[in-house]
Amino acid sequence: MARSSSTKRILLFLILVFVLIGMLFPMYWMIASSFSSEASSILEISDLLPKGLTLRNYIDVWSYGPFPRFFFNSLFVASMITLGNIIFCLMVGYAFARKTFRFKNVLFLSVIMVLMIPVHILIVPLFLIIKNLGWYDSYFALIVPWLVSPLGIFLMRQYIQSLPRDLENQARIDGAGEFRILFQIVAPLCKPALAVLAIQVFLVNWNSFLFPFILTSSEKMRTLPVALALFQGYQTIDWPHLLAASSLSALPVIIVFLFFQRQIISGLTAGAIKR
Amino acid sequence: MKLKQKTTILFLSPWILTLLIFWLFPLVYSLILSFSEYNVLSGESHFVGISNYLELLKDGDFWTALKNTSFFVVGTIPFTTIFALILAILVNQNIPLRGLFRAGFFVPSITSMVVIALIFMNLYAKEGYLTFLCNLVGAPTPEKGWLFSTKTALPSIMLMDVWMSTGFYMLLFLAALQSIPLELYQISDTLGANWWQKFRHVTLPYLRPMSLFVILINTIKSFQIFVEIFVMTKGGPLNSTLTMVYMVYETGLHKFRMGYASAAAYVLFLVILVLSLIQLKLFGYGRTVED
Repeated sequence: MARSSSTKRILLFLILVFVLIGMLFPMYWMIASSFSSEASSILEISDLLPKGLTLRNYIDVWSYGPFPRFFFNSLFVASMITLGNIIFCLMVGYAFARKTFRFKNVLFLSVIMVLMIPVHILIVPLFLIIKNLGWYDSYFALIVPWLVSPLGIFLMRQYIQSLPRDLENQARIDGAGEFRILFQIVAPLCKPALAVLAIQVFLVNWNSFLFPFILTSSEKMRTLPVALALFQGYQTIDWPHLLAASSLSALPVIIVFLFFQRQIISGLTAGAIKR
Repeated sequence: MKLKQKTTILFLSPWILTLLIFWLFPLVYSLILSFSEYNVLSGESHFVGISNYLELLKDGDFWTALKNTSFFVVGTIPFTTIFALILAILVNQNIPLRGLFRAGFFVPSITSMVVIALIFMNLYAKEGYLTFLCNLVGAPTPEKGWLFSTKTALPSIMLMDVWMSTGFYMLLFLAALQSIPLELYQISDTLGANWWQKFRHVTLPYLRPMSLFVILINTIKSFQIFVEIFVMTKGGPLNSTLTMVYMVYETGLHKFRMGYASAAAYVLFLVILVLSLIQLKLFGYGRTVED
């Protein structure tokens, strides 16, 4: 009996190792190719190893004129949106958790409804609205529409509801204003939830393609995903360089993930599990 | 009292403004656009009734896009769901390194879609990895690469999609599995139930709400497939990977037919809405574990 269960466990383990290799191979291939000196076709097993290890591709990509700008754009846009979400989702979530006001239920329902709306419906109207606001091809277009996310509001409301009210009431008796209560008393207690929110929002926006793509046109406004998607033209593709550029976009995220696994997973699955 | 209300409104204002300007107004605006012919260059717009919708019905590209999108949805979701469930059950067992497996399976979910699409373009190339694998086992391969044949382009993108989304749904199933009370399994053991009976009568009923949720959000997401198409095939070869959102993008932002694109977007919106409601109904939303 004991023997059969340990055989089972070994078999299970081997299956999982096999699946893991399958899951990570594309990532491995991106990294391996980015260090290769030449684009390789895979004709035999030995081609699966990088050929002529070199850092050349990374140096080339980084010194390719606009690339640092793309990197900066992604970093700047994702950071601003994250900052906005930390402040605004805290404010809105706090109001939903603690205040009574007219149309509260309807307004909260709107948060849930927006979570379910397929975003493709926004492509045409958002493009036109941004054009009419004069924001087309600017940082405003990339940042302002995403400054407060419905998922973030949901997350913060749930979290604040679970906090005891004593400290807030005490501060109120001591004569503190609502802003002070929110940012000096409630916000520090919300750190774990804010961390989840921040990482989730940053990740989604760092990777985002559709709206940064349709709301900008000039090269200097491109974020990394937009630049990568437009980098490959119709000519033959320069794989080592393209995959080095891809690695520069993907690896920071993967490294951050390894450190903040728990927060990232709970952030990305939050909407699902809390429901 | 008055001041208090004012602060509350101030706290709520970021959401109220975002909701009005970037969600409700666009929704209404594109509905109006779908009944008009809007010329971007002259800024002129006039009401044309349902003629955009009638034109869609006669548009071969629209039907191709709808067919491809449906094929994509129907051909990926069952696989993704089943693989995700199996993996969730496997990594929920007591095995060494299970933290590593969970994290590893999740890596594709945190990687940008554009990057994944680029990597797979390479893997699907004429002398790429997939061809290499097929040659190993002697399977036939398309002549110019997997994305350049009308027969293999869409299935190749579907395979990639299953690969990349399985890890995310695995974690959702894992969370559901971990919420099942252990006592239920202990009781089943004392009743002498085998693993299948336990799976059938304890695990599955508990997974029902999460399964519904997984299928629902995957349906909403899959119907909107765009980035993969834009990066990998641009709808080709010969429209074999043309999808609904790609069509909306192309007619709206390339041919600048805003009204027509909005009509197509609304049709897709309705398709998604109706299917979501059907799924909610089929799965018996609100039914509890007890019954």
